Amino acid sequence: MSLRGLSPRFWVAVVLVAFVVLVGLVGPLIVSTNPDATVGGLYDEPRCCGPLMLGADNEGQSVIANLVYGTRTSLIIGLIAGLIGTAIGLLVGLVAGYRGGWLDDVLSAIVNVGLAIPVLVIVILVSVSLPQRNLYTLALVIGFTGWFWVARAVRAQSSSIRTREHIDVAKLSGAGFWSILRRDVLPYLLSYVVMACILQISSAILFESTLSMLGLGASNTTSLGTMLYWAIQWGSVRTGAWWAFIPPTVMLTLIVFSLLLLQSSLNEVFNPRLRRGRAARKKAVKEGTELETSVEADDAGPVGSGGFLETPVSAGQDR
Amino acid sequence: MGTLVNAENIRGVYYTEGKDVVAVDDVSIKIEEGEVLGLAGESGSGKTTLGSIISLIARPPLHVEHGTLEIDGQVQELGGHAKIPRTWRGAVVSMLPQGAMNSVSPTKRIRHLIYDVMRSHDSKISKDEALDRAKERLTTLGLPVRVLDAYPHQLSGGMKQRTVTIISTLLNPRLLVADEPTSALDVTSQKILIEMLLEMLEKRIMSGVIFVTHDLPVLRTAANRIAVMYQGKIIELGPTEIVVERPEHPYTQALMSSVLAPEPAYANTRIEGMSSFDRSLFDAPAVIH
Amino acid sequence: MALARYIGRKLVWTLVVFVVALLLNFLLPRLIPGNPVDAIVGQLAAGGGAGGEQLQQIHEQYMKEFGLDKPLWQQFFIYVGNVFQGDLGTSFAQYPASVNTLISQALPWSLAIMLPAIIVGWLVGNLLGAVAAFKGGWLDRGAFIGSLFLSSVPPFALAIILLFLVAVRGGILPVGGAYSFGLTPEFSLAFFGDAITYWWLPFWSLVLVYIGGQAVGMRSMAIYELGSDYVNYNRGLGVKEGHTVRYIFRNAMLPQFTGLALSIAALITGGLITELVFSYPGLGSLLFSAIGTNDYPVISAITLIITIAVLIANLAADILTGFIDPRIRAVQSGER
Repeated sequence: MSLRGLSPRFWVAVVLVAFVVLVGLVGPLIVSTNPDATVGGLYDEPRCCGPLMLGADNEGQSVIANLVYGTRTSLIIGLIAGLIGTAIGLLVGLVAGYRGGWLDDVLSAIVNVGLAIPVLVIVILVSVSLPQRNLYTLALVIGFTGWFWVARAVRAQSSSIRTREHIDVAKLSGAGFWSILRRDVLPYLLSYVVMACILQISSAILFESTLSMLGLGASNTTSLGTMLYWAIQWGSVRTGAWWAFIPPTVMLTLIVFSLLLLQSSLNEVFNPRLRRGRAARKKAVKEGTELETSVEADDAGPVGSGGFLETPVSAGQDR
Repeated sequence: MGTLVNAENIRGVYYTEGKDVVAVDDVSIKIEEGEVLGLAGESGSGKTTLGSIISLIARPPLHVEHGTLEIDGQVQELGGHAKIPRTWRGAVVSMLPQGAMNSVSPTKRIRHLIYDVMRSHDSKISKDEALDRAKERLTTLGLPVRVLDAYPHQLSGGMKQRTVTIISTLLNPRLLVADEPTSALDVTSQKILIEMLLEMLEKRIMSGVIFVTHDLPVLRTAANRIAVMYQGKIIELGPTEIVVERPEHPYTQALMSSVLAPEPAYANTRIEGMSSFDRSLFDAPAVIH
Repeated sequence: MALARYIGRKLVWTLVVFVVALLLNFLLPRLIPGNPVDAIVGQLAAGGGAGGEQLQQIHEQYMKEFGLDKPLWQQFFIYVGNVFQGDLGTSFAQYPASVNTLISQALPWSLAIMLPAIIVGWLVGNLLGAVAAFKGGWLDRGAFIGSLFLSSVPPFALAIILLFLVAVRGGILPVGGAYSFGLTPEFSLAFFGDAITYWWLPFWSLVLVYIGGQAVGMRSMAIYELGSDYVNYNRGLGVKEGHTVRYIFRNAMLPQFTGLALSIAALITGGLITELVFSYPGLGSLLFSAIGTNDYPVISAITLIITIAVLIANLAADILTGFIDPRIRAVQSGER
């Protein structure tokens, strides 16, 4: 995979993502204000250049401090939940697809049920029943409920890889089940897993903000979603206190958009078939990076599901 | 037997980001009436590109920089921004694509495709007329009429390839360009397909065939003449027996000697490998028999 | 026949999932340790929402309805029985209002913004994606980036921005609610005229995002199909472009149908939050207030409704796909 194959879109995405991560990582260090400290009155207007750079929120706290810490929180939740989701989906999909048999049937049934029930429903029900809600429980809940589509896609691919010759070679040389999975099957899936992970993270971040806006957010930490929750509760939109809701909105949009952009540009790199033109695709096929069961069309992930990344707008499913 | 098709000075280049790849380097070739011309070569030799240029389907990033095609006294300019009449495709020169598997839309029944092809060339034809003609053709060539109602996935590989062959020749084209028609088939199906092609030639359904393939043994049975391509040029051209048994160009020689034929004469012949391989050997001038 | 069997399988499957969903709806809220009713009533008391005697009544009502003294599996069957009779219980926070009443008041508003958004969004989005794929060039690039952006903007984000720009700053459209203060909902032209102004912004927030999503998906599919072998073959046989285009559409649309069902789930989710932003009195706002007051029957009922809606959408999409794509039926009935 040469660097030349990376379109300008890719680099734009990388820059945006890097920016967001920087805000979350380094921001709290630069903005030395404590997000919980009262620095002003109710919806004080922004004033350059100290803690009130983006004004004060409904509790008189610094918006910019909350924004920066909130970004960090949202990113952390997204990362944890995304990784958990990808890991579970990968594991289940690998085992189900490669093993086949009754195990596959059982796992597939579970996955299909999980896919059929709207994730939001499950998440709401679980969150509502939790005795306490903090950063980590939220991440766990989101992670444990969002892996189904990954499992389905991975299963489709691993079950087709199962029939390839190099697997027979590995079996003949006595490699064990897990060893084969790790060394002979996984590398083929790697590019897909990376993309799936990106999508999981971005969908997890959206989920968290949705939950927070519904009032099911973390109760002790600020996140971008909770900022919006309070902004709406206190009618900041109506009173025109734009600094209370525009910054978190912009930040959230930026995060989600940049992650999706990254995923879609990576998609074109890993799946040259998406590039325009038959000759380009023939050339791509010659280059040898072909994923079976056309990943770019099937189960490509929650792209374009109308803004709420719940499950993939899957093209072609199990054709 | 006169000349059916005269293709002259064809130059085809792929414009890609970075560099331009010359796939067909100033090639001229004649196809005689009633013959099967085999177009052989390794991957990247340009044979498929030449085939697609002659069958009038070249499109970006493949650019035909110059070339002409003469059929039945009519000369069609191929190069630059030449406008190729849509009706030539399928009716004058037709293509038989590689891998008939995907050549029919999976959600379309065969008869839909046939109807579309026929009415694109004769807007007044009715569905029944079109299908009747198709049925006639199918029975003439020994295929069951029920394939008309089938979806592509319901047909076996060999059956699909033969059906597509019939569709490609429905309009009785003068020349049929077959691109690796046998590559995806088992040996029995290959034989049946080749026999069908020869039968069609005999019945004058089409008047000439260009058979593009990398599979040399197949050409022995199917082709009258063989043109061997290497790096965009035809480096040897001649009657099949000569090209196969007494090739004169070093590349052709290397190509032929790499084929194992299970015949007694070859029982004691060794395949010669090339120890210190020197490709410049192949730059020897072309041999036209 | 293959089709009938296919539909049959899908129906059975839907029912299975529905049962699982019912189970989840039932079990999850009851996972709280301790007697849920005590906890809930305790919260109500602490929140100052209801007085002593009302609390007592709520407590008895809930205990009676769910027979919390009975074993869990029996409770489940009572619950299921109630659901199938259309009785979704009584609200806690708005006691003694029945959940059915609350939902029937809120549902029409939600449907009013979501249904048109889905239909218009799907049609326009797919059209846009297909045109962009066919025309290529600048139109394609612009449409793609634009759609990508729109589809990745969370619907509520767009809602907030629209609300701010158009309503607050621009003053063109109302800021919140579903109809002007002082009016009561009725089937009159005057009321519709007024309600429409309130309807625009929520509708646009949803529709734009949905269009973006569909356009991106359709464009990818169309590009993929455009490069496929059968398109090339058709061209090689001199088939008129118009004929081929119809089949490109058909093949590209298939996944969009399946996607429709899934994206309905996404749209509903987005819609809920959008309602919050616009204080639109639909299911979203109801859910929000129910969560805030730990009104379990209402929460449970809404999640159940959402699930049912998504399941029906999925089933419909599957059936439709079965009609259009012959391979699906074949695979399912083991023809291959």
